[in-house]
Amino acid sequence: MSEQALSTPQTERSPLWYRLDRLRSSFAGSAVLGLLAIAALLGLWEWLATLYNVPLWLVPKPSNFLGRLVSDWQMIGGHAIATSITIVEGFALGVLIAVPLALAIAAIPALERGLYPVIVFLNIMPKTVIGPILIVWFGIGPLVAALIVFLMCFFPILVDAMSGFKAVDKRLFYISRTMGANEWQSFWKFRLPAAMPHIFSGMKIGVVKAVEGVIVAEFIASNRGLGFMVMQASAFMDISLMFAGLVAAAIVALFFNGAMSVAERVLMPWSRAGH
Amino acid sequence: MNQVSMTSALSTGQTSVAGASITAQAITKTYGEGPAAFHALGPIDLDIKPGEFVSLIGPSGCGKSTTLLLASGLEPLSSGTLEVDGKPLTRPLSEVGIVFQDHLLLDFRTALDNVMLQQEIRGLDKAVIRERADMLFDRLGLKGAQKKYPRQLSGGMRQRVSIARALVHDPSMLLMDEPFGALDAITRTQIRHDLEMLWLETRKTVLFITHSIEEAVGLSDRVLVMSTSPGRIIEEIKIDLPRPRPAHLGEYPEFSAYAEKIYSIFAKLGVYKF
Ligand SMILES: Nc1ncnc2c1ncn2[C@@H]1O[C@H](COP(=O)(O)OP(=O)(O)OP(=O)(O)O)[C@@H](O)[C@H]1O
Ligand SMILES: [Mg+2]
Repeated sequence: MSEQALSTPQTERSPLWYRLDRLRSSFAGSAVLGLLAIAALLGLWEWLATLYNVPLWLVPKPSNFLGRLVSDWQMIGGHAIATSITIVEGFALGVLIAVPLALAIAAIPALERGLYPVIVFLNIMPKTVIGPILIVWFGIGPLVAALIVFLMCFFPILVDAMSGFKAVDKRLFYISRTMGANEWQSFWKFRLPAAMPHIFSGMKIGVVKAVEGVIVAEFIASNRGLGFMVMQASAFMDISLMFAGLVAAAIVALFFNGAMSVAERVLMPWSRAGH
Repeated sequence: MNQVSMTSALSTGQTSVAGASITAQAITKTYGEGPAAFHALGPIDLDIKPGEFVSLIGPSGCGKSTTLLLASGLEPLSSGTLEVDGKPLTRPLSEVGIVFQDHLLLDFRTALDNVMLQQEIRGLDKAVIRERADMLFDRLGLKGAQKKYPRQLSGGMRQRVSIARALVHDPSMLLMDEPFGALDAITRTQIRHDLEMLWLETRKTVLFITHSIEEAVGLSDRVLVMSTSPGRIIEEIKIDLPRPRPAHLGEYPEFSAYAEKIYSIFAKLGVYKF
């Protein structure tokens, strides 16, 4: 090999590949590529279903269920909003309880020893099992779904927030104490922001769990929301509405994941600052 | 001319202009209790005069960091007495700046905001401290780095920001725990010189912990050499060299004599096993 070849960095690629890579890494670019891929897939589906004459009651064509999304948008939209509200409630409750609890556990070793086994047990327990119990207590409705969502996203947030609070360097507290910081300042100015990246990664997992869990929760325990709508459609063998519900659920999930990314950028600008 | 105006600007502080004194008698530190108790330090005596630059050098684990924590009131003494400016320490000092081996800057604040944290938490005058911060940024070779986040800075620059944070409130004492330990040799030499120049102008009391004989001799008025754990002070060496001291200390026979002396103490201690 010549010396020149050796010194050529391996990052060198064909210009087309480079441009594709650039496109992929930019946000708008990845959205465009994603949409193109989905459109191609749906087109193929439509074509195959027409070609082989697949009956509508078995597998609907994209034109069927996307059509339902348009024609029934009010009903589907209403359920999607109900689902979103349930997610927000369950998730907000999860954050509001998990973060302070994580701080307390990280600060008080005795609390950790006492509570940790309980938390681990509750965490490995399948959360939907609690559904029927909650139904007995609260009756079927969005409240029970929200509580299940809360349980689903609570643990990842708690665990990551705890490791975040614990990972704060002790010498940082030395510095804050020489500044004369009180407990409140030490929390707001040092601990919380320092733990923020951990808390955020917990919240991101929490949101994924929440959007996943909310549908199951609505299957078993609600009389509103996309999960409930799909269950009902199933009872009526309305398969194109079920597929429409699936698409709507995916859109809701996409929306919440996107909202988390935006929140991360707004709340933690430093984590994105390049070199 | 420029030098003079800098000096006055740097020391028009709030409370203190001169450095503080530290006196300690027979202080010791034992970590833990009962069977797990570990005698980490002492007894040692300290007598650091206002404005003096004192280095503490000794083998790893001998209790240097512990000494610094005791001197700042961040860790309670196990026995002995300790006074700062003639007053017994009952709680963490606040007229102090601390620099550790890691910069310990907050990722989520820009370089300037990290430094201004001193002002925010202490409730000092914003304009005055801001001016001092800009001055320190200039003096420490950080021009234009104000708005950068720590991860956008090099290791040497982060450590410089951390020094600025320790000085911006014009404390009477500067405690440094191996502040240049994580830096490369070139950066270390430069930053050592910059620190010396700042110190010459402000004459804060400095307690400087290091593993580097070159740093100790290159910066200090006095070097205290500690024994292996539990550390005691076994030798006190006055460094009588003119300031500011040159970059390549090794070329000067006076320097080499001091360095040799410390090496030989370490050799006697069995710190080196060749
Ligand atoms: N919080 C603590 N609890 C128990 N032991 C400790 C604690 N802090 C330090 N020690 C022990 O005390 C001894 C002295 O520690 P110290 O950090 O003061 O050493 P050092 O001289 O600064 O070492 P190095 O040069 O490696 O930084 C060590 O053996 C250390 O393990
Ligand atoms: Mg140490």
